[in-house]
Amino acid sequence: MATAIKIDSLRKVYGPTVALDGASHEFEAGQVHALVGKNGSGKSTMVKILNGAVQLTDGAVELFDQQVAFANPAEAMSAGVVTVYQELSLVPGLSVLENVLLGRMPSRRLLGLESINWAEARRQVTSLMEEIGLTLDIDRPVSRLSVGQQQMVEIAKAYSLQPRVLLLDEPTSALAAQEVEMLFALIRRLRDRGVTIIYISHRLAELFEIADSAVVLRDGLLVGSLDMATATNQDLIDLMFGDEAHVAIDRNQESERGAPVLEVRGLTRDGAFADIDFTLHRGEVLGIAGMLGAGRTELMRAIFGADPLDKGEIILDGAAIDKPNPHLMTKLGLGYTPENRKEEGLIQFHPIRANLCMAALDRIAHGHWIHRRRETPHVERQVTDLGIKIGHSEHAVSSLSGGNQQKVVIGNWLNIQPKVMFYDEPSRGVDVNAKRQIFQIIRDKASEGVAALFVSTELEELLDVCDRILVMRNGRLTAELDPLTATIKDLYSASMGTA
Amino acid sequence: MIINTLFRRYPLETILVILFVVLCFAAPGFFTVNNQLNVLRNITMQGIIAFGMTMVIVSGEIDLSVGSGVAFAGCLTAWITELLGGLIGLPLAITIACICAIVALFFVGYMTGKIRQIFNVPTFITTLALLTILFGAANLITGGFPITSFPYWYNFLGSGTIAGVPFPVFIFAAVFALVYFLMNYTKFGRALYAVGGNLEAARLSGINVWRVKCLALGLTGIFTAISGILISSLILSGSASAARGWELDIISAVIIGGTSLFGGKGRIWGTLVGVLFLGIIVNGMTLLNVSEYWQYVVRGGLILGAVLLNQLIERLHEN
Repeated sequence: MATAIKIDSLRKVYGPTVALDGASHEFEAGQVHALVGKNGSGKSTMVKILNGAVQLTDGAVELFDQQVAFANPAEAMSAGVVTVYQELSLVPGLSVLENVLLGRMPSRRLLGLESINWAEARRQVTSLMEEIGLTLDIDRPVSRLSVGQQQMVEIAKAYSLQPRVLLLDEPTSALAAQEVEMLFALIRRLRDRGVTIIYISHRLAELFEIADSAVVLRDGLLVGSLDMATATNQDLIDLMFGDEAHVAIDRNQESERGAPVLEVRGLTRDGAFADIDFTLHRGEVLGIAGMLGAGRTELMRAIFGADPLDKGEIILDGAAIDKPNPHLMTKLGLGYTPENRKEEGLIQFHPIRANLCMAALDRIAHGHWIHRRRETPHVERQVTDLGIKIGHSEHAVSSLSGGNQQKVVIGNWLNIQPKVMFYDEPSRGVDVNAKRQIFQIIRDKASEGVAALFVSTELEELLDVCDRILVMRNGRLTAELDPLTATIKDLYSASMGTA
Repeated sequence: MIINTLFRRYPLETILVILFVVLCFAAPGFFTVNNQLNVLRNITMQGIIAFGMTMVIVSGEIDLSVGSGVAFAGCLTAWITELLGGLIGLPLAITIACICAIVALFFVGYMTGKIRQIFNVPTFITTLALLTILFGAANLITGGFPITSFPYWYNFLGSGTIAGVPFPVFIFAAVFALVYFLMNYTKFGRALYAVGGNLEAARLSGINVWRVKCLALGLTGIFTAISGILISSLILSGSASAARGWELDIISAVIIGGTSLFGGKGRIWGTLVGVLFLGIIVNGMTLLNVSEYWQYVVRGGLILGAVLLNQLIERLHEN
């Protein structure tokens, strides 16, 4: 068998961080190779090196026995390395045909003018669709396709570039089960046509269905490869996590569970989550583990009232809540720090002061009137308590680092003196030091009695911070784990549903 | 040196003062009490609405219908006065008419916000439609001819004076003070900036975002009605052709004052300066016998210049 890609001692360094530390492997041609590893293990760095999005620091890449060093994705594309990213790049208003040939429409001269040759375009796309066995109406606007169909159009578009190597980054994260099946059928057809596929996914169970081999990365090292025909789930997880022992950070161990503050029963939002029951107690940090798309964020947003609910009851502090909305829930003492702080948590060009007092307008006002006299202590308290590093509270919040911005988002909510806090990925885009501080804040507030729901994709964080962890999979709560006894492998298996 | 610092800190204010001083010397009859009062009287009617418009634009919306709103309010007031004047006496009829106009335009503004909320129709579209609808409605009310139902004493509202100062100037000052306090010292004002700055972040911070937008639009409706009543008093009739094209002058003043059309950024003080700026320039050019056509060109250039200047200053501040 030929080798499609050979990497030799790949190394990539970003400033002080080593993302890839000498990875070597030969990817056999005409196979589906899974690339696995937990967050931050170096998967995306490897993909980016292969497709020219970043340049390697050291090492060598060979593409079909020829040494290559792509300066940008366009170069990689013309050499036959095409990437399909998780975020779709289709133009919603255009048809399938127009999207597939975007920027490459065949043209002809008509009355002396360069014009699109629609007949030729139609012929090209129809034969392409036939070749890869896709039955889609090519005149339908992409906006009217399901996410799964859009993903397939994306792949068809990639295939029309006649790739020798196709990189797929989490193609199934947003898909429903039957769509995954269709996608896999398409991937197999491409493989049978000789395309080498490198497939990144967090969903381990899937890999056994689609991949021929798996390459495992851990902390920037390529720790091994497995033949998926003979490998077991345990083999994969062992490789991914090695022997790392989990050390819990010290927290107030008295863990005397307080009275229930938030109870939800049979909560359902069609297409997002179903039959969710849990009880959150005073002073407790309850984690929700789960893969991307498991419905964690959707659950929190629905309880907070940011998205509609279909069924179920919410009882906050003993009172049943009929129709939650953010305005009401804020009044009742529920805070929510959203996962995208830039888009949803902050007003970037407004001063730090205003961003810290957005949720607590009622508290800094007397009746309708706002007094600086009341506002200033609210700002100063959070800046001091949370250790927010600022020049001046009138500076725009955009001037702060990610960690400090996140603290502003949290401070905004602590100003309402919440009974319950929802933290959605509070450590995203935050440096290690600030991460620690943010977790400490969450623990400190818990010991003051604030109950917290904590969602993170980083499983270690959940084990570190939480008193209890619920596992969510495909929109349902499937397990509960005690972080003092559970290991990261347990948590991972439970999240993947392979336990 | 001092001018340089002043210019950096208060660019628009500095230019306004310089312009004022230059006109004092260049334009004959500019710096007289009468002319200054005249300038004030001319800017008040649009200025009152510009203050409301500032809130609307800061909240991330726009109201293009204000010109027709003024005409509609004037015609409605005149029409109701005509209807009821004989039955209940003019003073009471006029009071009821004014209240009706104010309530009607508050409602129209508020509904514009509701349509945005429920059907997701941008206020740009709804108010563009209203611009035509209200103009048509004003003409329907009047039948195309001004309604002259007002008694002579009604003229006081628009052209009377108290201690030498035109009456509308007091209303102008009162509206400015009201909006100034609303925007700077109330929950509503804070929410206004938050909603315009980032709708989703404001919503997720528990702010009742639609109430805020609807209120801003409704308040602007009220100010539009007040302006319409003052105009109807000034010309002692309800005329459907009053205030044509005002929306552009008003939005121009707000933009010159440094308010961002993207929302979330702007000061009511800036709008006051913008209103004065436009008023003084127009007055100065008229006194200098600049042709009306050139005045249009200059006013347009002014809008562009002011926005470019604001961008420039912002860049200077960043460095």
